Amino acid sequence: MSAPTVSKSSPAPARAPHQLPVRRGSLARAVQRNLSAHGFLIGAVLCFSFFSWYPMVREFFLAFQKNKDGRTTWAGWSNLSYVFNDPAFWQAWRNTLLFTGLALVLGFAVPFLVAVLLNEFRHGQGYLRMLVYLPVMLPPVASVLLFKYFYDPGYGLFNRILGIFGIPDQQWLQSTSTAMISVVIAATWMNMGGATLIYLAALQGIPGELYEAAELDGAGLWRKIWHVTIPQTSLILSLMFLMQIIATMQVFTEPFLLTNGAGPEGSTMTVVYLIYQYAFNFNNYGGAAALGLVLLVLLAGFSAVYVRLSRTQED
Amino acid sequence: MRSSWFRPTCRSSAAAVAAVLALTSLAACGTSSSDDSGSGGGSKADISAPLDPKTKVTLTIDCMPPAAKAAELREWKEDVREFNKKYPNVTISGKSTPGQCEEPARFTAQLKAKSQPDVFYTYFTDLQQVLDNNGAADITAYVTPRTVPALDSIDGNVLGVLKKDGKLYGLPTSNYTMGLLINRKLFERAGLDPNKPPTTWEEVRTAAKKIAGLGNGISGYGEYSAENTGGWHFTAAMYGLGADVVSADGKKAAFNDATGKQVAQQLHDMRWKDDSMGKTQLLKWGDLQKQIASDKLGMFLAAPDDITYMVQQLGAEYENFGMGSIPGGRTTLFGGNDYMIKKGSSPDKIKAAIAWLNFKTLTPGKGQFQWDRTKADKLPVGLPQPNFFTGDTKAKDLASRTKNATMPVENFKPFLANTVPGKAEPPKAQEIYKVLDNVMSGVLTNRNADIDKLLATAEQQVNQVLANR
Amino acid sequence: MATDTMRPRTLISPAQLGRRRGKVVYWCVFALVMVLFTLVFLGPMYWMVSGGLKTTQEFVKAPPTLVPTSVHPGNYGDAWRVMDLAKLLGNTLYYAFGALAFQLVLDVAAAYSLSKLRPLFGNVILGMMLATLMIPATVLVVPQYLTVLDVPVFERNLLNSPWVIWLPSVTNAFNIFLLKRFFDSIPQELLDAASIDGASALRTLRSVVLPISRPILGVVSIFAVVGVWKDFLWPMLTLPDPGKQTLNVGIYSLASGVPENWLIAALTIASLPTLILFLLFQRNIMSGLTAGGLKG
Repeated sequence: MSAPTVSKSSPAPARAPHQLPVRRGSLARAVQRNLSAHGFLIGAVLCFSFFSWYPMVREFFLAFQKNKDGRTTWAGWSNLSYVFNDPAFWQAWRNTLLFTGLALVLGFAVPFLVAVLLNEFRHGQGYLRMLVYLPVMLPPVASVLLFKYFYDPGYGLFNRILGIFGIPDQQWLQSTSTAMISVVIAATWMNMGGATLIYLAALQGIPGELYEAAELDGAGLWRKIWHVTIPQTSLILSLMFLMQIIATMQVFTEPFLLTNGAGPEGSTMTVVYLIYQYAFNFNNYGGAAALGLVLLVLLAGFSAVYVRLSRTQED
Repeated sequence: MRSSWFRPTCRSSAAAVAAVLALTSLAACGTSSSDDSGSGGGSKADISAPLDPKTKVTLTIDCMPPAAKAAELREWKEDVREFNKKYPNVTISGKSTPGQCEEPARFTAQLKAKSQPDVFYTYFTDLQQVLDNNGAADITAYVTPRTVPALDSIDGNVLGVLKKDGKLYGLPTSNYTMGLLINRKLFERAGLDPNKPPTTWEEVRTAAKKIAGLGNGISGYGEYSAENTGGWHFTAAMYGLGADVVSADGKKAAFNDATGKQVAQQLHDMRWKDDSMGKTQLLKWGDLQKQIASDKLGMFLAAPDDITYMVQQLGAEYENFGMGSIPGGRTTLFGGNDYMIKKGSSPDKIKAAIAWLNFKTLTPGKGQFQWDRTKADKLPVGLPQPNFFTGDTKAKDLASRTKNATMPVENFKPFLANTVPGKAEPPKAQEIYKVLDNVMSGVLTNRNADIDKLLATAEQQVNQVLANR
Repeated sequence: MATDTMRPRTLISPAQLGRRRGKVVYWCVFALVMVLFTLVFLGPMYWMVSGGLKTTQEFVKAPPTLVPTSVHPGNYGDAWRVMDLAKLLGNTLYYAFGALAFQLVLDVAAAYSLSKLRPLFGNVILGMMLATLMIPATVLVVPQYLTVLDVPVFERNLLNSPWVIWLPSVTNAFNIFLLKRFFDSIPQELLDAASIDGASALRTLRSVVLPISRPILGVVSIFAVVGVWKDFLWPMLTLPDPGKQTLNVGIYSLASGVPENWLIAALTIASLPTLILFLLFQRNIMSGLTAGGLKG
C-alpha cells in the first residue's frame, strides 16, 4: 500500500509542509478546496445527472411528446387524456392502493410484531434473525416461482396445508378476490427481513426503565406495547411507513412473475405494470411517460412528508 | 476475506480521476454498436442481381437454434457450411435465443433501441410496429425470381402480410393455420374416436366433459389467458365462428357482439359449469404444451408445430397427438414468422441476407425443406407447417414430406382434409391480444364474471389503441 | 447468544420470566416460534432442494410428496447444462462485482467529499441525490431506458453492455447516505491531524478515513452486490441478448420451456451464491443493517 502512496503524493508539491504557513488569499484557498472537493464528487454527480436527474426531466417532456415514424412531435395533453380515459388506469390505481393497503397491514405490522417477539427471546435470537433475513438474499425469480408452485390450486402445497385444517381449497392467484393478497403474502415473505432487523435495532434502544415505570403503574403487556414500545419507536415506525408506501407504489417484479402482470381480470395490474405495458407492449412511450408523471407527482407529496420527518430525525 | 472489501477502494487510488475516466471511457469501451453498415462492394448498379460471391459480408442473425435443440443447431451449422461453399466470404454470425425466438415486450424494446441484428426474426403481426420504428429495409427490388427462385410459388397471402403499400419487408420462414390439437391417448380412454376430433364448439364441450371425467387432475380442454396468448386464442375462436375482432376498416373493435359473447360464455360454462378446464389458469404459451405432453390435457387450439416443440423439448411422442380443424370451421387464423433486414443495411448486406434466407428457408429440398436430413436427425417430418408453397412446388414438397414422414400423417387428416380459409391477424394484433387477455382471464378465473362488462371494457380499450396514431 | 445477566431490560420483566409460570410460557412460545419460523423460512428451501431431485411426474403429483420417492440428482446437471447456468452466473457475478467497484470508488468519494470536504452547493447536491430515494426506480424506467439507448453528450448506446448496469448502479443514494453518516461520525481532529502533516484529501481518505470505515464499507458492498443480484426489470430491458442476461432474467425467459423439476433445480443453483455470501458475512450484514442503518 505504501508504493502507490508515495508515487501519488509526489506530484503535489503545492501542499508540501513548508508551504503551509504561507498565507494565501482566502479566496484562492476556498477555490482550491472546492475544486478538490468537487473532484471527488464529479463521478457520482455525472452518474446521477445521466441516469437519474436527466431521466426525471425527460419524463416530463416525454409525457407531452408523441413518436411517429421516428419523428418526435408535441402531443399536448393527448397522452394524459389517453391515460385518464383508459379504463385500466383507474383499475390500476385501485389495485395499487389495495396492494399498498395490504402491504401495510402485512408488510408493516408483521415485521414489527416479529421484532417485538424476537426481542424478548433469551435464546436462539441469532438463528431466528438469520431465518427471517434468509429470503431477502434469494434471487426474486427463485422466491417468486417457489410461491407460484405453492399457490397452484392443483398440486400446490398451500391447499394441502389448508386441507389439514379442514379449510376448502383456495384459488389463490387464480381468483380476482384472492390474487392480490396472495401476491402480498409472497412479497412479505420475501422482504420482511430487512424491516424486522431495523425494528429490532430500534427496540434495543428503548431504555428498560420505561418498562419498569410502566409496570409500577400496573400496566399489562398490551399497555406496555401501546404506551412504551410504540411511542419509543414512533420515529422509525413512521419512516418505515413512508418507505413502505414508496416501495409498494413501485411494485413490479412480484405481480409480473406471479400472475404475468395483469392477473385474473387485471386484478393484480399495478400502475407501474401499466407503465410497462404502455411502453413495451403498446409501443406507446408518451402514454407511459404521462402515467409515470402522474405517479411522480403523487409520490412527490409523500416525499415532502418524508423529507420533513428525516430532517427532524437528523437533528 | 474481510480486507477484500477494502482493497478495491485502495487500488483505485485516484478516485476522482477514475470517476471522470470511467465516464469518458464509455467512448472506447464495449458498447453495442447500433449500426456498422460499411457500404461494401460497388454492386449497387443492379440491386436485383444475386450477391456477387466475392463480396465480403458479415451478417448477424437471431433465432439460431439454442444448444438445447442439438439436432437443429447441427443442421444450422451444416447449412452455413454448405452456404459458404457458394459464398465463402459471407460470415453468418448466429445468435441463439433459448426460449421463444421473440418475446413481444422485449422485441418492442429492442426495436426502440434499434438493437436488432442485421437479419431479425419477427412474427407476421409485427410489421406495423417495425415500420413505426424505422426498423426494416424495403427489400422489394432485391427479391426477384433470380435471387429467390421459388418466389412465384410462395402463397400470395403469406407475402401479403409482409407487405405495406406494395413494398416487401420480409421473407417468410414458417406459417401456420390454427387447429384443434388433441391427445389421442386420452380420447381413447374417454371412449372418444381420436380420428374424429370435435368440429364444433358443442362437440368440444361434450368431449371435454368426458375427458375431464377421467379424473386424476386431467382436464378436457385448455386455454391461455396471459402474455397476449389469451387474446390470440380468443381471436382464433372468433375466426373459427366466422367473426372478426376488428372492423373491416381497422378502426373499431368488433368483438363485442353475439359471437364474442358466445365464445366467452362457452369458455365460462366449460370452466365453471362443467369444470372441464382444470383449476390452474393464467396460462401462457408453453403451459398447455406441458400439460398435454404429460397426458393431463385432452385438447387445445394450436398450430401444428407445437407438436415439434413437445417432442423435442418435453419428451412427448408423435403417435400421441392428432389434429382437427378449428371448431366452427368458417375461417381460421393464420400466422407465422419471418425474417426482416435491418434498415440502413448496405445493399451487399441485404443481398447476402436474401441469399442466406433463400437457401435456408425458401429452397425446396434444401435447408429447412431437406426432409431426408430432418428425418435422419430424428426431427419431425410430416407436419403441415411451414405451408407457404403453392402449385407444383407444394406438391413436390408434400411428396418428399410424406416419403420421409416420421409420424403417422393420418393423424392430421381431419386437419388437412378440411381446408378452412385462412384469415390474417388483426392490425395492432399484439396490443389487441393483450387487452383481450383480460376477457379470457376474467371468464376463466371468476365464477361470477360479468361477460358483457368484460367485453365492453375491452372494446373501449381496443378502440383507444386503434385510435392512437 | 448473550447471557441472561448481560441483557438489557425488555418488554417482559425478568421477574415475571423468572417465575415458574413465566418460564413455562416462555419456553412454549419459544419452541412454537422456533418450529414455525423454521418451517416458514427453511421449509420452502427444503422443498426447493428436494423438488429438484424429483421426476417431473412426481413433482406435479396432486398430494406433493415430502421426500422424493426416487432421487434424481441428474436434474441439477441437466438444468446446469440446458439453461447454461454457468454463463448466467458468470454474467451476474461480472455485473455485480463491477457495480460494486464503481460504487466503492465513486460513492465513497462522493460521500467523503460531502461529509468532510464540504464543497459549495454540497448540501444541494446531497438533497438532490436523496430526492431520488423518494422516486422509485421503476417509475422512471421508460425515460431511463430511452436515455441508455442514446446517452447524451457521449452518444452511446449502452444496451447489452455491462456499463448499462454499472453506471446507473452508482446512483445509489441510500449507500451514499449510509457512507456519509458514517464519515460524519469520524472526529474532525483525526483529519486535521493528517492535513497538518501535509496529506492531501485523497491521502487522508485512504490512510485515515477508509481504514476505520471497514464495517460500513462491508455493508455497502453487500448492498451493492445484492442489489444487482436481485434486480429484474432493468436487466430484463437493457440486456436483451440471451448471452448477456443475468440469472434472474435468464431463468425467467427459460422457465416455460423446461420441465418443472429442472426449473426447480436451476432455482436452487441460482439461490446458492447469495445464500453462501449471506452465511459467510452474516454477522457483518446483521450488525451493519441494525447499527449502520437507520438508528432508532
